[in-house]
Amino acid sequence: MPVEGPSIGFDFSNYARNQFLGERMNGLPRATSTGTTIVGLKFGGGDTGEEEGICLGADTRATGGPIVADKNCEKIHYLAPHMRCCGAGTAADTEFVTNLISSNLELHAYSQGRPARVVTAMTMLKQYLFRYQGQVGAYLVLGGVDSTGAHLFTIHAHGSTDKLPYVTMGSGSMAAMAVFESSFKQHMTRKDAIDLVARAIRSGIFNDLGSGSNVDVSVITKNGTEMMRNYETPNERGIKSRNYKFRRGTTAWTKESIRSLIVSEEVKMTTGAGKTQDGVLDVPVPIGKGPGGEEGMDVDA
Amino acid sequence: MAAPGGGGAYSFSLTTFSPSGKLVQIEHALAAVAGGTTSLGIKATNGIVLATEKKASSLLLDTSVLEKVAPICPNIGFVYSGMGPDFRILVAKARKIAQAYWKVYGEYPPTKVLVQEVAGVMQKATQSGGVRPYGISLLIAGWDSHRGQSLYQVDPSGSYWAWKASAIGKNMVNGKTFLEKRYNDDLSLEDAIHTALLTLKEGFEGEMTENTIEIGIVTVPTAEQLQEKPGERLPPTFRKLTESEVKDYLSL
Amino acid sequence: MEYNGGSVVAMIGKDCVAIASDLRLGQQSVGVAMNFEKVFPVNDKLYYGLPGLATDVYTLREQLRFRVNMYRMKEEREITPKTFTHLLSSTLYEKRFGPYFLEPVVAGLTTPTELEPKPKPFISTMDTIGCITTPKDFAVAGTAQDKLYGMAEGLWEPDLEPEDLFETISQTLLNAVDRDALSGWGAIVHVITHDKVITRQLRSRMD
Repeated sequence: MPVEGPSIGFDFSNYARNQFLGERMNGLPRATSTGTTIVGLKFGGGDTGEEEGICLGADTRATGGPIVADKNCEKIHYLAPHMRCCGAGTAADTEFVTNLISSNLELHAYSQGRPARVVTAMTMLKQYLFRYQGQVGAYLVLGGVDSTGAHLFTIHAHGSTDKLPYVTMGSGSMAAMAVFESSFKQHMTRKDAIDLVARAIRSGIFNDLGSGSNVDVSVITKNGTEMMRNYETPNERGIKSRNYKFRRGTTAWTKESIRSLIVSEEVKMTTGAGKTQDGVLDVPVPIGKGPGGEEGMDVDA
Repeated sequence: MAAPGGGGAYSFSLTTFSPSGKLVQIEHALAAVAGGTTSLGIKATNGIVLATEKKASSLLLDTSVLEKVAPICPNIGFVYSGMGPDFRILVAKARKIAQAYWKVYGEYPPTKVLVQEVAGVMQKATQSGGVRPYGISLLIAGWDSHRGQSLYQVDPSGSYWAWKASAIGKNMVNGKTFLEKRYNDDLSLEDAIHTALLTLKEGFEGEMTENTIEIGIVTVPTAEQLQEKPGERLPPTFRKLTESEVKDYLSL
Repeated sequence: MEYNGGSVVAMIGKDCVAIASDLRLGQQSVGVAMNFEKVFPVNDKLYYGLPGLATDVYTLREQLRFRVNMYRMKEEREITPKTFTHLLSSTLYEKRFGPYFLEPVVAGLTTPTELEPKPKPFISTMDTIGCITTPKDFAVAGTAQDKLYGMAEGLWEPDLEPEDLFETISQTLLNAVDRDALSGWGAIVHVITHDKVITRQLRSRMD
């Protein structure tokens, strides 16, 4: 194992125990999920002269059951400089699967000496997800630009994929798709594309309980990727009119211990500290020829 | 642990001590390194330069495909002297080590940690059954937030050193003497690149052009470059110079 | 989660962070111990809390102690709060299909470096399989999570001095825990500043 830490693959050792506990207690704990609205569309191209590209969008709410676990999370994940991936489903799975593929894409790019293609990322993702038969709960919208043009895919947790000009996913997908179905046009300008994506996400934020907070948008063209984090913030928190600062000493405590992190030290001269001690002989250690010496090893290195 | 390949009765280590305490295989490996083309590295105040000679054995060879300076991860690069095939194996291993580290800690390994891992891989080949030592010496340059820019050399035995400047391969002795004369502690990266070219020129056979040398540089990032932006990665601190950049340096 | 009970909360203040937990260990509705600490130090300026199944608290604590000690020796430096969060997250995700029943909370100050001379407060939290969230205000977890969210949303405000942060986090925890049958039985608070760590045991309801 090259690096200390988790070994390759999953560890099922607690599985049986957890099933048992789940039966005795009221169910297993819920993982954070991203009840989500994520969308993507292709714009530009054709005879418009507008450069071809992909626009991705996502809301920023993460939920754990009925609780909002994160009010401003990031669902547009980095894959490669020219590729991004929106994730819905089990939050940890979307995070880790995109990280894994991003890592493999980087290795791929190094060994091939060119940026990886979007289809490559799509194939890697679908093969990984298929292997886990839907148990890795990542539902993804993948978009990017490569040497063969702009590409947009959806990838489901079971490993199926679609290639479409406009896509939506997550619990807010119906709300967002309603916007796309009524307003999507081929070969839109960059600005129109961003506006439509933001409108689709807003539709999810306001009509779907699983989605909320802000709009994140990312635009990918062959000239680069622009990440517009919190492109719209339609749900800003109001300012508290009064504060609830407590008077110091409100809370009663029984015991206190303070660990000071300031090191104070004082130096006392004793024998041994830099002085020669009686009965100790300094014997020089034999040293080889130094770096790349006789055996290529230092005797004392 | 069983030897890689599982050679059974023949899986004893090929690297065995001679009665005088020498490991002859390692000395042979160093001889392979000393026969390889010259590579060098110089640490500057604001970066590091790695440079190497790229020699073709025939005019007919297409040298544009050859890669002797290799990026490992965005903050670390390698250059070698010795056997090309061995180098490519180590590069592939090092890249995997770097990615494994990234997956656990969310950041790329500091130079020293990667050096130790790679040195461990090379050491293993001196003690395992059925394998021979790697026939290369490496120069590893990288930047990390903990130690800043650092330059290391790793030998076939798995020993490693940190250098201010070093040379390996055919011209290492002359190269090092030259570097000792030229080096000072407040060298800038630009100066270091020129010193690297001058050192390489000593004992260079044939014409030195953008096609016959390779250069990689480490740059120290500014505080602004280290500012994390949402959904983006930090810019790389190691990169190879393009052929046109090398040409510009050569014409100066 | 509900088997042993317990809760943890962390908050960011002005150049300081605080992390607090209750002290109850239960076996379902039966209280077993009132000195069960769930918050542990990683180094001088980094603490983490593990509310959840008590057996997993021990297992994961030892696992992390091993990994952090190995990190410290290999890298010859202290682990930063951010790096520790990633280490913890990947440790949890390794057990994706047989998770630890824990929802960790991390709180720490970054050690000043040349490029980042000001120590920055950092908190993060994870679900049972390691999905990281890094809030700018507060992080809560455990059986009183819902109640802690409510209290913290109301009481937290930006730029609290260490002593004010102590009051805010203490009141958040005590009042949330009073509405949770499975948490309580005492509480402990750590306030981490650049030059000291203040640890206080709170007086609380014992029912």
